Amino acid sequence: MTLAISVENLSKSYGDLTAVDDISFDVERGEIFALLGPNGAGKTTTIEVLEGFLHRDGGAVEVLGVDPSDRQHLRWLRNRIGVVLQELAVESFFTVRQVLERNAGFYPNPRAIDEVIELVGLTEKGDAKVKRLSGGQQRRLDIGLGIVGNPEILFLDEPTTGLDPAARRTTWDLIRLLSSEGTTVLMSSHYMDEVEALAHRVAVLSRGEIAAQGSTASLGGRDKGETTIRFTLPANVVVGDLPITPSRIDGDVIELRTSNELTTLHRLISWALDGDVAIEGLSVARETLEDIYLALAQGDRDESEARSS
Amino acid sequence: MSSTTPDARTHQHWLHDVRLVVHQVKYEQLAFWLNRVGAIFTVGFSVVFLVMLGLSAGNQLIPSLGNIRLVQYYVPGFIAYGVMAAGFTTLAITIVVRRETGLLKRLRLSPLPTWVLIASIFISTTIVALVQVLLLLVIGRFGYHVAFPSSWAALILAVLVGIVSFSAMGVAISSVVPNQETAGPVTSIVFFVLLFLAGLWFPLPPGSGLAKFSNYLPVRHLMTAMDRSFQIPRGVSPWAWHDLLVVALWGVGATLLSLRRFRWSPRRS
Repeated sequence: MTLAISVENLSKSYGDLTAVDDISFDVERGEIFALLGPNGAGKTTTIEVLEGFLHRDGGAVEVLGVDPSDRQHLRWLRNRIGVVLQELAVESFFTVRQVLERNAGFYPNPRAIDEVIELVGLTEKGDAKVKRLSGGQQRRLDIGLGIVGNPEILFLDEPTTGLDPAARRTTWDLIRLLSSEGTTVLMSSHYMDEVEALAHRVAVLSRGEIAAQGSTASLGGRDKGETTIRFTLPANVVVGDLPITPSRIDGDVIELRTSNELTTLHRLISWALDGDVAIEGLSVARETLEDIYLALAQGDRDESEARSS
Repeated sequence: MSSTTPDARTHQHWLHDVRLVVHQVKYEQLAFWLNRVGAIFTVGFSVVFLVMLGLSAGNQLIPSLGNIRLVQYYVPGFIAYGVMAAGFTTLAITIVVRRETGLLKRLRLSPLPTWVLIASIFISTTIVALVQVLLLLVIGRFGYHVAFPSSWAALILAVLVGIVSFSAMGVAISSVVPNQETAGPVTSIVFFVLLFLAGLWFPLPPGSGLAKFSNYLPVRHLMTAMDRSFQIPRGVSPWAWHDLLVVALWGVGATLLSLRRFRWSPRRS
């Protein structure tokens, strides 16, 4: 069994509102898989179905080979998964060690408490009250509670929302460390840089549907060489004079999308040198995950504006 | 470890779950006493009220209850108060706080079975109530010469029925309280109005409109059940079956409402 999670045609509605609409994806053992999308895209609903917290309306779901909605296997499954919620679910009046010991007692094969405290970088704070911890430290303790049961799969729902940049970095390091130890991670995020930094593969969710999915590097076909070349239209030159056909013209900025940027650039530069034309503002850029995500989010906005008008 | 399948799972022995209850009760108790708010509200209030009211007006006689001293009326009354404060107010606030901070959801997603959680909360609430009952009995006996109950069994039964029913009512009201900010004020106001209507501070004149009205509510009946275990008024049977039945019916109603309305997850903005 190499699949940790398999999702086929999953659907879930709340009354009239369709939260998740016919999505499918697989997560392999040991990988970090990210669900990326804006608020309300269906990320948390999807995770909650996989955790066995919500019942789905349609489709087939398997987590570690069992159906999470099957009550018979639920406890078996919960012994093997860890969850970190959007909320910081830690009592403030306990010490770090007390909370971890309490939750460790729920699991058949928990990690040693000292090991967890060290992993999440709270060695100095083991006997400190939770309310004395900074926001970043509380989040790391929260992740510590997620892994204290020694889970095979860790669900992280927006693990760094509300953290300062330094705390985000240490949280990323912790997630990478857990992954390198073999823990499968399914995370959700609406931060681009987070997904690019952590995830092996990603599914972009938009209004309950998967708009794109693949490896983080290949998303939206950017490994296939879709490159955007931009430059300012030189003075005394009309578009028709150019040796290439623009994809888009924005004022005097010429934009050209190509999958063969070397040949295109060669043609453009030879033409400029031959005619002694100066090309200003030349840029060559591969599309980033952010461009794709923003394009999807923009599409969402246009559509909802169109519907509301 | 990763090669195990559910079919190969080892059945967890029931003894494991019993140990889980003991484990969870330990941390429920720790949470209760470390948090202080619940402890002050439950044990602290009833002890301070009994001492202060006992000192100021304790020796007044109550003709309608066979000329017993007011402090004799307060001992069972504040025992009832403590049971209700632990089961109703403290539990309701605890549940709302745990729900809105995500603690309940996290517990739900852990292997801890729901029945273990409920049993642990019930046992923990009972421990708190018993601590408070003992304190009040000792203060009443040695501070104000109030005799111990005529029937310990009747007192313990009334305490247990009270804890179960008022805990159910606490869970029920927690399910209609929207957020942490309103949990304390809403439950406290409801609670203190109910206590006043039931005559915790001043015994209700028998046959009065207020006495008839509070017959439909559970608070007055739990207080009566406690009174009866002390044989107040003199000569009555210590077993208040009718009153316990009314309290239990409220518990059943609250359980039905909770089953419909209970939520594990926080309200999202």
